[in-house]
Amino acid sequence: MAQYDLSKTLIPYLDRHLSFPLLAHLGETGLFPAEEVTVAQYELAKGTNMFDYAKGLFEGIYPGETVPAEFDQKRTNAVSTNERLQQEAQAVLDVIENPDVAQALRQDKNQNLQYLKDNYNLTLDQITALYNFGQFQYSYGNYTGAADYLYHFRVLSTDAELNTSAHWGKLASDILTGRWDVALEELNTLRDAIDTRSAPSLLGSTAAQAQGAVLDPALGQLHSRTWVVHWSLFVYFNHPQGRTLLLETFLSPTYLNTIQTSCPWVLRYLAAAAILSRKAAAGLTTPATPLSPRVRHAIREIVKVIQTEEYQYSDPVTEFLRELYVEFDFERAQKALSEAVDGVLANDFFLGEFKDEFLDCARFLVSEAYVRIHGRVDIENLSERLNLSQEEGEKWIVNLIRESRMGADAKIDLEKNVIDINRPPQPVYQTVIEKTRQLAVRTQALGVAIGRPPQQAQQQQQKPDQAQEVLVN
Amino acid sequence: MSSEDEAPAKPSTTAKPAMSRFLRTAGSDSSSSDSDEDSEEDSDADNGDDAESNASNEEDKPQIRILSAVAKRLNEMEATGKVMENALKINDWMAISNEFDKLVRMIQRQHNLSEPIPAFYVRTLVTLETSVNTTLQKEKEAKKKMNASNAKALTAMKQKVKKAVKDNETEVKKYQEDPEAFEREYLNLIARDSTPAAASGPRVAAVGATDDVDEFTTVGKGGKIQQYTSESIFKDLQAVQEARGKKNTDRAEQIRILEILVDVAATSYQRIRVLLALISSRFDYNSSVSTHMPPELWLSAQREVDQLVSIVAADSNYSIQEMTEDYDELVERSPATEKGIVRIRGSIISFIDRLDDEFTRSLQNIDPHGTEYVDRLKDEKVLYCTICRAQAFYEKTSQSDPLGRVIMRRLEHIYSKPDAVVQALEAAVDTSDVKPLTTLTAQGSTSALVHALCVYLYKSGNSLLRTRAMLSHIYHHALQNDFHTARDMLLMSHLQESIHSADVATQILYNRTVVQLGLCAFRSGLIKEAQATLQEIFTTQRVKELLAQGVHQQRFQVMTPEQEKAEKQRQLPFHMHINTELLEAAFLVSSMLVEIPLLASIESEEQKRKVISKPFRRLLDFADRQVFTGPPESTRDHIMQASKALQDGEWEKCRDLIQSIKIWSLMPEAASVKEMLAKRIQEQGLRTYLFTYAPHYSTLSLSLLSRTFSLPLKTVTSLVSKMIWNEELSASLDQSGGVIVFQRIELSRSQQLAQVIADKVAAMVDQNEKALDIKMGGTGGWGERNDGNKNEKRGEQIQERRGRGERTRGARGGARGRGARFSQGLGNQMNSHTGGQRGQ
Repeated sequence: MAQYDLSKTLIPYLDRHLSFPLLAHLGETGLFPAEEVTVAQYELAKGTNMFDYAKGLFEGIYPGETVPAEFDQKRTNAVSTNERLQQEAQAVLDVIENPDVAQALRQDKNQNLQYLKDNYNLTLDQITALYNFGQFQYSYGNYTGAADYLYHFRVLSTDAELNTSAHWGKLASDILTGRWDVALEELNTLRDAIDTRSAPSLLGSTAAQAQGAVLDPALGQLHSRTWVVHWSLFVYFNHPQGRTLLLETFLSPTYLNTIQTSCPWVLRYLAAAAILSRKAAAGLTTPATPLSPRVRHAIREIVKVIQTEEYQYSDPVTEFLRELYVEFDFERAQKALSEAVDGVLANDFFLGEFKDEFLDCARFLVSEAYVRIHGRVDIENLSERLNLSQEEGEKWIVNLIRESRMGADAKIDLEKNVIDINRPPQPVYQTVIEKTRQLAVRTQALGVAIGRPPQQAQQQQQKPDQAQEVLVN
Repeated sequence: MSSEDEAPAKPSTTAKPAMSRFLRTAGSDSSSSDSDEDSEEDSDADNGDDAESNASNEEDKPQIRILSAVAKRLNEMEATGKVMENALKINDWMAISNEFDKLVRMIQRQHNLSEPIPAFYVRTLVTLETSVNTTLQKEKEAKKKMNASNAKALTAMKQKVKKAVKDNETEVKKYQEDPEAFEREYLNLIARDSTPAAASGPRVAAVGATDDVDEFTTVGKGGKIQQYTSESIFKDLQAVQEARGKKNTDRAEQIRILEILVDVAATSYQRIRVLLALISSRFDYNSSVSTHMPPELWLSAQREVDQLVSIVAADSNYSIQEMTEDYDELVERSPATEKGIVRIRGSIISFIDRLDDEFTRSLQNIDPHGTEYVDRLKDEKVLYCTICRAQAFYEKTSQSDPLGRVIMRRLEHIYSKPDAVVQALEAAVDTSDVKPLTTLTAQGSTSALVHALCVYLYKSGNSLLRTRAMLSHIYHHALQNDFHTARDMLLMSHLQESIHSADVATQILYNRTVVQLGLCAFRSGLIKEAQATLQEIFTTQRVKELLAQGVHQQRFQVMTPEQEKAEKQRQLPFHMHINTELLEAAFLVSSMLVEIPLLASIESEEQKRKVISKPFRRLLDFADRQVFTGPPESTRDHIMQASKALQDGEWEKCRDLIQSIKIWSLMPEAASVKEMLAKRIQEQGLRTYLFTYAPHYSTLSLSLLSRTFSLPLKTVTSLVSKMIWNEELSASLDQSGGVIVFQRIELSRSQQLAQVIADKVAAMVDQNEKALDIKMGGTGGWGERNDGNKNEKRGEQIQERRGRGERTRGARGGARGRGARFSQGLGNQMNSHTGGQRGQ
């Protein structure tokens, strides 16, 4: 099943440190020989300041050989650098942690800088020390500390480029420490920063990203977005609400384009997320927040994308959706599903945990489609499609009927062992009502908009219901 | 071109023209010189032929010829001088003025050939000057002795003489100092200078008093060649160059001289210089007379460019540049004298450009159905070789700007060709001694070759080249049936937004690319995409014009000759054409496959207005209106009858009709395309059938459908399922019975009307909102509906990519807009273009 493993494609878009969990996971799945994975880990660790870790790996790979002396030397170096940087950073930190200062700080960064300079003799260079120390801490694996320092730096600094870099660094630290809420917040701000700014400075100095010399802004933005897409996978597949948010983000035109252009393999995660959130979308569980139409129609959207990108990328997960919604070939969809669950999800770093849920949701999708197309369904047949035994199938179907709102329309005929689905067509008057429902409100909004002077109208992004209120007043 | 020049070329004819000239001089008037020139030009045209047929004559009596030619000229001058003297005596300034003009003209000719100015002229000048002055003096003293016109002529004369004296200041001075010595010097000069400029040498020598006899014994046919030695090469070259572009220069003769000079040239420097001059004069040869360069001339030009490139490529000490510092044209230069690289003024790239353009022009003007065209086309191979050699040369010397241009030229020769042709062209390159870095053998496949060339151009800074390279690359991908790559590249290039502001040639290339993309989609069986892509260009109804494959006859507008000419120059040579009939067949067939099921699926008249393909619908309506239909003849007939058969559910008849269209044979892989079409017809036939006849069934067995449309049961199920899922068909499958159960509700009249009115009211609100949007200024105005518009541009395109289903509503507007832009763009360009021309 190694052909469906995406680690190799993903890692180039990840930070060195973010790749460790992926590699560790690979070691566990046993898709690749353990030694190779360890060697890969060692090669990665060699480039960081995590000497003890690298040393351990080295000993693991070459038992009996002496550890190269450069490690110790580097280690002492690192320790001294650490001390030096810490001292520099501490000076700033002392000032900032002073409650007086904390109160005096305002929204305006320039003003803050001026204030710090006047009162505490803090210059920009000193503040940069925070950044340096944060980055150094990150490099030897102290992610919590790194996140703190980078946060403080970002609050104070005005240097756009370093700020972006700090952004990335903080996001990575948060991901690695597993604080998903914070990471999610961080991710959103970072995304905003990327979307609003089109400067090439977005290509922060984070890790290997600074490879390109002078790239044009659009390309730079595409790069950053690609990176965001990959990094966000960590957050979205660990945060409780992540899947819905993932759909929300990835299905927005800009990110969908990014995925289509530079990383079609992310479609797997997009498809999986869509399947996973299907139940929520169907309104079976009651979500706290109303879902945007984008999420509700996620599957339809994704199927289209999968179709267009088929020539570039396909794996069992996307194949499943395609067979189900394009070809309507339930047999093949069934096959693709089992392959997807056993071959792909079980071994996937991000999706592994959602294996059962995925299977459940996928079955739901299959039966939904099946029932909608067929007027009379043979339970045996359906169970087969769902890869369940007859008895299990029956239970499943009963649950399905109970959970979904088909209850009124579907009846099980035990004698013949079939489900009868009787879906009466929507009455005409209902469609007419549906069509005209919005019209009054919209017209009122129009009236209000005409009444206002044009400039004001442009400033206010008016929602119809607001307009209504105005009218009532 | 003067009599002197002409003489060696057609000796036998000299007697007559010379005679006539004599006559003319004897009783001449001032206008004679004009007609003189005309007649000479005419005689030039047949010059070539004359020269050969008269070669033998030349050998027979060179003496007579030479004597007469030279004497004639001098006699002429002297005669003029005599007339002037006479007129001077009777104080007739009008006559003097006329005669002087004539004399000046003759001297001018003399000057053109860089022969020394005869002493006689100088003498005349000096005497004239004194007499003018004295006369003027007299005039002042004795008033009103002259009539008005005479006085006028006198003052005019004064000016002329002044000018002439000024022009020949040094000679006049010398003469005034010592007339005797001056005349002696002149005689010496012409006597000594036995190898002066061009062909005049022997003749002057003949006039020179010294060793007439010796001279003539050595001068023969061989003797003439001997005169061009490598020592005097620069002088000869300069003479030719000075004569270039002047009214009466014999171009054929110049080319001949230069050809000889090439053989004579000893050093690389000399050869480069002569070749540069030779190639330019070859291109000069026929600017006005014919539409294109004669192939022979072109071929020799091509060989010489090759030679030039080889010389420069072999010896890096010489470099040909458009901008150089001034250097003395008459001095031999070598790396040693220049201390490093010898820079020579000239431009290989412009030669290559010209060579290529001339080739295209000749193809445009040769009848494409004759053998001549094919013969001419064979020359593409050598041309391609030349281009590749030039590329190699520029690669070696790393001159990025001309390299880009030359690579573009190369790309243009291969991007639209099938593999076999490219292989043939590349094979020729492989045999040449100078090879560019990118060859077919190095790259492996044509696609890789095109890719390598394009990548270079993408990196170059020139945006026009980049655009063209991009389009050629897409075209090539499409030609290779790589639809997805081609489509993605086209969409990502964002060219469709900016193409209307590009130049006409690029727009044509864009149109070609789009059309080829459509054909590619059709070949790959992507019917919807093919239809959508070809739609744009077919709605304009000016397919031929947009592809530059024929001039569109505008009904209400008469084109000016300039427009017509410009239009003609843009036309593509025949072998590059995309067959429009094939194109139309592909478009109509794909329209049929999209449109017929759609037509069947809609019930009310209201919905019928939703048209995907207007041209198709128009044809179909027209076909419907005909009372009798005969057996199909044209491609259109076939498709129309096939459409009707499809509507009636007779898919087999439809298939047979479509497959019997002859034009498919022009499509590569015709058999597989036909097969694909048959399959599509089966599927769409099934859909049409279901749409059309669903109201008449309550249940329908799947196996029956499967049998009727000879499709596997699974495909039928899949198709029906899809229709049910998309709510195109209100039915459900009954698995146990293997049937489709239709659920149909008959709407009562009032229900139907209620639905219609609901739709209309909704449409009205939409309209109102749109109107308000416009009034409020653009999309950012009010309400929340702007997110749709604000999507990034690629978003829109993706929608486009997603195919038809979703865009039925927006697409029509969009397509229309784009179609308009298509035609608009071209139209605008044309106007501004011709306007510019007129301005010039």
